[in-house]
Amino acid sequence: MSEASRQGWDAVVLDASDNLATALRHLKAGETARFKIAGAVRELTMQTDVALCHKFAVETIAAGDTVRKYGETIGLATAAITAGAHAHVHNIKSLRAMRP
Amino acid sequence: MGKPAVQFAGYLRPDGQVGLRNRLLVLSATGLTGPTGRRIAGALPGSVFVSMPYDGGLLGDDRDAQLRTLLGLGLNPNVGAVLLIGGNPPKVAQLAEQMAKSGKPVVALTLDECDHDALTLTDRAIRSGARLMIEISRQRRQPCSLATLFLGLECGRSDPSSGLVANPLLGLMADHIVDAGGKAVFGETTEWLGAEHLLARRGATPAVGKAILDAALDHEQRAIDAGLDLTGDNPGPTNIAGGLTTIEEKSLGNIAKSGSRPIQSLLGYAEAPATPGLHAMKAATYAPESVTGFTAAGANLILFTTGQGNSFVNLISPTIKVSANPDSDKRLLEQLDFSCPDVFTGATSLAEAAPRLLALMIDVASGTRTWGEVLGEGEEVVSRFGASL
Repeated sequence: MSEASRQGWDAVVLDASDNLATALRHLKAGETARFKIAGAVRELTMQTDVALCHKFAVETIAAGDTVRKYGETIGLATAAITAGAHAHVHNIKSLRAMRP
Repeated sequence: MGKPAVQFAGYLRPDGQVGLRNRLLVLSATGLTGPTGRRIAGALPGSVFVSMPYDGGLLGDDRDAQLRTLLGLGLNPNVGAVLLIGGNPPKVAQLAEQMAKSGKPVVALTLDECDHDALTLTDRAIRSGARLMIEISRQRRQPCSLATLFLGLECGRSDPSSGLVANPLLGLMADHIVDAGGKAVFGETTEWLGAEHLLARRGATPAVGKAILDAALDHEQRAIDAGLDLTGDNPGPTNIAGGLTTIEEKSLGNIAKSGSRPIQSLLGYAEAPATPGLHAMKAATYAPESVTGFTAAGANLILFTTGQGNSFVNLISPTIKVSANPDSDKRLLEQLDFSCPDVFTGATSLAEAAPRLLALMIDVASGTRTWGEVLGEGEEVVSRFGASL
């Protein structure tokens, strides 16, 4: 991930295999977020507000799919997450330290 | 990484370690002399006070960790002299003897030799401590190489700005100091979960890699055994409000602090590394315990990142607070020693910010104070591993 790729963009996707983006400013529902993924410019209409440093889906993620950031799995979607919607503890769960 | 000064001005100790500070440590080896120690330190302006609350009835890992921490804090090179008090004469005598092997001045006093009168202990300790302060004030800083730095790498109240910018920046510092022949340590073992495979690959030997995986799994199993859902505990409520979702996400950001160099060993809590280079410590994630583990292992400079803000610093080793969060930059004017929202937005690159942070480290190493030192936010907290008898 090149930090230079962040300047002037609304969000950052850290790895081409990620399905989550991190907001670089406070994003409002209805506005267009511009970011790059795998070198290509992407524009996405925000479905919800997403606060600075929070994440949103860059593509629609089905319930039960893994969610990815840093090119690694960071958890499982517990509900469908629409592209441009806030992805957080209400729709993602950890896969670690789960009780049997 | 530019051309920053390669030396700083430190206190060369007789055992070859280098202090960035020259503190008199008033160290109470037991909770029984804690209040007396606090009174003694209060009468000696400029001294620092640490009390180990526990003593009798410690078992196993607790007993070892407490002794190792007491000894390690006394041996930390930021301590110029130790005024050790306690209530158990053989234990105090043994600790004092081990600390004195470093060549630094150590005075030990127990309640037993003061007829179990706290006021007599107070009187004698203040007189001894005053002499120690005069003695250490004769020491002068001299040029020291970066190889004498031992970084403790910590984060607290993290958010995604930590994993994106502040922690990778610490990683660059860790690489730089390790390449210069110095040491660095990271811990917070629970925050390896989801990223432990990346750390294990960097083990200097397969055994180190396996030890790292085992340590992470041990922490995970203890959470499972306790029925603890990590979400809400780690990441905690402030992390979650800041945008961190799962322990995996937090861990992947956390381990960026360790940089990219091979991991030479897995240390126990407060265990001093045997070699230069980067080391991992199997330890609690909670910052007050974690950083005391580093300081007792010999770390003389702490780099501590935060996203949402975290005022806590180590008492003995100066702690540089680093954040890249643009909102925290506006709020925490008397907390963040190094704030780089410009790197978060991408206006400045990590490579450009790195020499600026290194320059601040050299300044702080040479005596420039941190916000936490000026405001007195420092504390030492030793981990517990089980119940006392």
